[in-house]
Amino acid sequence: MVKSSPDLKLDSALTLSQAAIGCDFQIRQVEGPACNQLRDIGFCEQMLVKKLTNGRNMLCTVCGTRLALSKDLADQIQVVPA
Amino acid sequence: MSNSSIEARIVLVGNPNAGKTTLFNTLTGQNQKVGNYTGATVSRKSGTFFTPHGHRFELIDLPGAYSLDPNSPDEEITRNVLIGNQEDEDPPNLVLCVLDATHLERHLYLLIQVIDLGYPVVVALNKTDSAESQGLRLDPTALSEKFGVPFIAISAMTERGITQLKQALRHPFPSPPVRLWKGPAELEEAIKQSTKLAEANRENNPAASGLMAVLKDNPEAKEFIQKTRFEYIHRAVEVGLQRPNEELLALTDRIDAQTLHPVKGWCIFTILMITVFWSIFKFAEMPMGLIEEGQETLQGWVGGLIGEGDFQSLIVDGIIAGVGGVLVFLPQIILLFFFISLLESTGYMARAAYLMDGVMNKVGLSGKSFLPLLSGYACAIPGIMATRTIPNNKERLATILILPWTSCTARLPVYTLIIPLMFAGALQQGLALFGIYALGTITALLAAKILKPRLGKTEPSQFLLELPTYQKPQWRQILQQVSERAFAFIKKAGTVILGLSIILWFLETFPKSDSDDPIVQQAESFNGQIGEIIEPVVAPLGWDTRMGTAMIASFAAREVFRSSIAISYATDEEDGKEMRDKLSASTRSDGTALYTPLVGLSVIVFFIYALQCLPTTVIVRRETDSWNWALGQLAGMTIFAYLAALLVYQIGKLLGYS
Repeated sequence: MVKSSPDLKLDSALTLSQAAIGCDFQIRQVEGPACNQLRDIGFCEQMLVKKLTNGRNMLCTVCGTRLALSKDLADQIQVVPA
Repeated sequence: MSNSSIEARIVLVGNPNAGKTTLFNTLTGQNQKVGNYTGATVSRKSGTFFTPHGHRFELIDLPGAYSLDPNSPDEEITRNVLIGNQEDEDPPNLVLCVLDATHLERHLYLLIQVIDLGYPVVVALNKTDSAESQGLRLDPTALSEKFGVPFIAISAMTERGITQLKQALRHPFPSPPVRLWKGPAELEEAIKQSTKLAEANRENNPAASGLMAVLKDNPEAKEFIQKTRFEYIHRAVEVGLQRPNEELLALTDRIDAQTLHPVKGWCIFTILMITVFWSIFKFAEMPMGLIEEGQETLQGWVGGLIGEGDFQSLIVDGIIAGVGGVLVFLPQIILLFFFISLLESTGYMARAAYLMDGVMNKVGLSGKSFLPLLSGYACAIPGIMATRTIPNNKERLATILILPWTSCTARLPVYTLIIPLMFAGALQQGLALFGIYALGTITALLAAKILKPRLGKTEPSQFLLELPTYQKPQWRQILQQVSERAFAFIKKAGTVILGLSIILWFLETFPKSDSDDPIVQQAESFNGQIGEIIEPVVAPLGWDTRMGTAMIASFAAREVFRSSIAISYATDEEDGKEMRDKLSASTRSDGTALYTPLVGLSVIVFFIYALQCLPTTVIVRRETDSWNWALGQLAGMTIFAYLAALLVYQIGKLLGYS
C-alpha cells in the first residue's frame, strides 16, 4: 500500500487490471480505443463490476454476466471501490 | 405456401446466447427456410407461424448482436435490416426482442437501441426459469411500464409462456414506443435535421437512418447517448429486477474454479477431447456394423433380382458399394456433431476458448479463433463462416487460411479405413485418431504463426468473451443441430457421392478387356490408364495406381477416396473388415505387401494436409472476396500435402521400414 501525501488530492480510481480480486467496484470511466466495444458488452459507466481472476486474460462479472477480457482492455476501464 | 397469406413480417433480434434460435425454432417448427442475404454469406433464416387469433406472420431470425454498432459482418446485417438499408429486405412491421433474463441488465442495451428506431416492439424475456433458479426476481409489469413495450416472460426451451407471447403479437400492432432518453437541444436539433435529410433521400426508415447518421458523425454525441441509455437501464432494473444472494451463483464459480484452473483446466480439457475421440470410435462400432450388414443384405437382394451383367455391376458394385462405403460413417459423424453441440450447449465451449487464448496468442491469433477452428473438425464450411465473429480482419484471414488443416469429418472415412491397417484395439485406434487431429492442429497453428506477420500490419487482437452460466444441455436444440448435419451428409451421399460413384464405376469397368482376370481388366480400364499416367507422381509416396486414381477422384470430395478404393478392388462385399483384409492382402508386382504401416502413414499425412473439397474453396473465395486467396490456399495445401507424404515415406524407407 502506497501512503498518499495529505497534500495530494486523494483519487481512488484505478484501472480494472489493477483492481483487487474478489472486491466490488463501480465503473467510473471507460476510455480508450475499444471503449465503444466495451460499453456495448456491458462495461459502462456506473455499472458494478467484480473481478474474479488476474492474469493476461482476466475474468470478471458485470451485472451477473461473466466476461473474460484481456489486460489491454481492462486497462481502458477505470473503477472505484463500490 | 404463398406469401399473400402472410400478414406481417417480424424480425427476431437479441444478443448472442439469448436463446433467439431456440425461440425461432419453437415458434416456427418445421416451417423454415434458409437462404443467404444478397452479397453476403450470412444465413437468412425465416419461417412462418400462426397467432392464437389466426394471423399468419413471417419470422426472420437475425444474427445475434450486442448492439447496433456492428463489430462483425453478422452484426452489420442485423443493423442494416433494422434501419431498412439491407438490400432485398423490407423494413419489419414489428421487432421481437429476445432478452436473456439471467443477464437482463446487459441485454437491455440492445432493446433500448431498438426502441430508438421507431418500430413496434415486443420483448420475449427468455430463460426466466433459469433466472428463477438463480434467485433472480423479475417484474415484467414494472419493466413493461419503464420501457413502454410489453415484456412477456418465457422459456423458449421448455415452451413456457409461448402462448402468451403469441397473444402479445396481436395484429394490428401497437404504436411504436417513444424514445426513452432526451439529449441537449443542440443534439435533438441535429437528430431532427438528419432525419429530415433521410426523408428527403427517401430512406426506408428515416428516423433510424437519421439517428444512426448523427451517431456516426459525432463521437461526443455517441458517448453521451451511450451513457444516458445505460443510466436509464440502471434505474429501470432497480425497479424491475431483484438480485439474488451471490452464494446462489456459486455453482458456476465452483465449476469454473476447476475448468479454468491453469493446470486442472488443461487436464479436464485434454481428458474431454480424448474422451470425445475415443467415444467416436467406440460407440459408432455397433451402428456401423448394422449399416454394413444392411448394405450386404441389400447387395445380395438386388444382385438376386437383377441378372448378371453390367447393370447389376453398376447397381451392386458401383452405386451400393460407393454410396454405402461412405454412408457407413454416418454414426461417427453424428457422434462428432453431438459432442460439439453438447459442449456448446452446456457452456463449456466458451471456457475452452478462454483456455486456448493463451496458446492462440502465441501464434498471433486469439481465443476467438478457437470456436471456428473447432467447428472445422466437423466441417470446414461452417467453421470458415464462423470466422465472421472475429473482429480483426488479418486474424480472420489467417484463421480461414489455416482452418482446413483441422481435420473435418469427411476425412474420417479415409482415416478409419487406414488406421485399423496400422493399429489393433479401440484404444490404440482412438489414440492414433487423436494424434492425427493433434498433428493437423499443431501444423495449422505453426502455419498461423508464419502467415500472420506476412499478412500486413494490424491492431493487436483484443480478447473479450462472454462466459455463459453453466446449464443443462438443451437436448432439443442439440438434436436439431445433429439431425441437420446428418441429413446434409446423407444428401451429399445421395447426390455428389452417388454421381461420382457412377463415374468411377464407369472408369473402372470400361473399356472391356478380353481377359477374365480382374487384375488385367482393371489395368486396361480407363481408371487403370489414368493410374498409369499418374503412377510416376504417386510412386515416390509408396502408393500404387489404384490409390493414385482414388486420390485424384477425392479432390471433388474426400469421402470418394474410400468409394474409389472399394470400387477398384471390385469387392462383392462391402464389409469394412473384409475390405481391410483385402487391402492387407494386396501386394505389389514384386510380391511385397502394398498396404504397409508406412504406406498407411503416407496416405494419412497426405489427407491431413490436402485441401480436397471444392465447396470449401468456393466459400473461402466468398469470405475473402478473392480468388487469389482461395486458389493459393488450394495449391499451397496440395503441394504441402504431397511433400509431407513424400518425406514421411522416403524417410521411413531410409530408416528401414518398408
